[in-house]
Amino acid sequence: MILHEDADDALQNTFVNAWRSIGEFRNDSSLYTWLYTIATNEALTLINKRKKNSTVSFDDLGSHFSDSIEGSTWFDGDAAQVKLQNAILKLPEKQRIVFNMKYYDDITYEDMSVILNTSVGALKASYHHAVKKIEQTISGN
Amino acid sequence: MKKIENIPDKNPFKIPEGYFEEVNNRIIGATSGKIPDKRKPAIYHRLRPFLIAAASVTGFVLLSYTAIRLVNSHRNSNQTAGITAEDYYSPVFSDLDIFSIEENAASVAVPSQGPDVSKAEIIDYLVLDNIEINEIFEQL
Repeated sequence: MILHEDADDALQNTFVNAWRSIGEFRNDSSLYTWLYTIATNEALTLINKRKKNSTVSFDDLGSHFSDSIEGSTWFDGDAAQVKLQNAILKLPEKQRIVFNMKYYDDITYEDMSVILNTSVGALKASYHHAVKKIEQTISGN
Repeated sequence: MKKIENIPDKNPFKIPEGYFEEVNNRIIGATSGKIPDKRKPAIYHRLRPFLIAAASVTGFVLLSYTAIRLVNSHRNSNQTAGITAEDYYSPVFSDLDIFSIEENAASVAVPSQGPDVSKAEIIDYLVLDNIEINEIFEQL
């Protein structure tokens, strides 16, 4: 999530939904993984809503977010981090999720596999492709 | 090609001051601070022990009934195992003679539309026609 308002909505929805469905938590995974799964689903729901309600294409939406990064009050990165964020925005959705989980949150592939319901091998491949694309984008700029 | 390892992996986004206290209050407000009711299990899960017990009892009764039927039929077949049909019916037919047949025939109704012939005459006729006494008895 790039915009603070979106992240705020996703966070609130995550904890409200977790509160409502705490009876369904079965200790099959850790509480952290369970909460992360709800948060990921909430974030994706918000992103899809934004895509649906937007009159511009998703590529243009990417550039809109890209502009939002630099002008955002809540962005605290340097020029290199702006470049990195812009490169991440250009990734396909699945690769972007995997990259953010691994790079910023250092989530293990095993936990990621539970959260995204994807095999570890596919996640490793996604991360590898994401890193290559980001490096190409950064070096091209 | 620039390696991303050169870029710090610290999340570059920051949060407003006092954000978590504020979001905490909002979440408590949204949930009204109530502990959610434990979801009632589905009716199948609640009735499951009773269904299993009922199925077990039904299965036991059916098995017992089948076993009893099998044992009884086996026992009956053992009791009649050494007896031939001839042995079985001989006590009945050995006591038969022409007079007892005529006696039995007296109680049998003869169709009124037939010719006016007495039963004794019919029996005499059949005996003279070399019909077995046993067969006559069966017909009557």
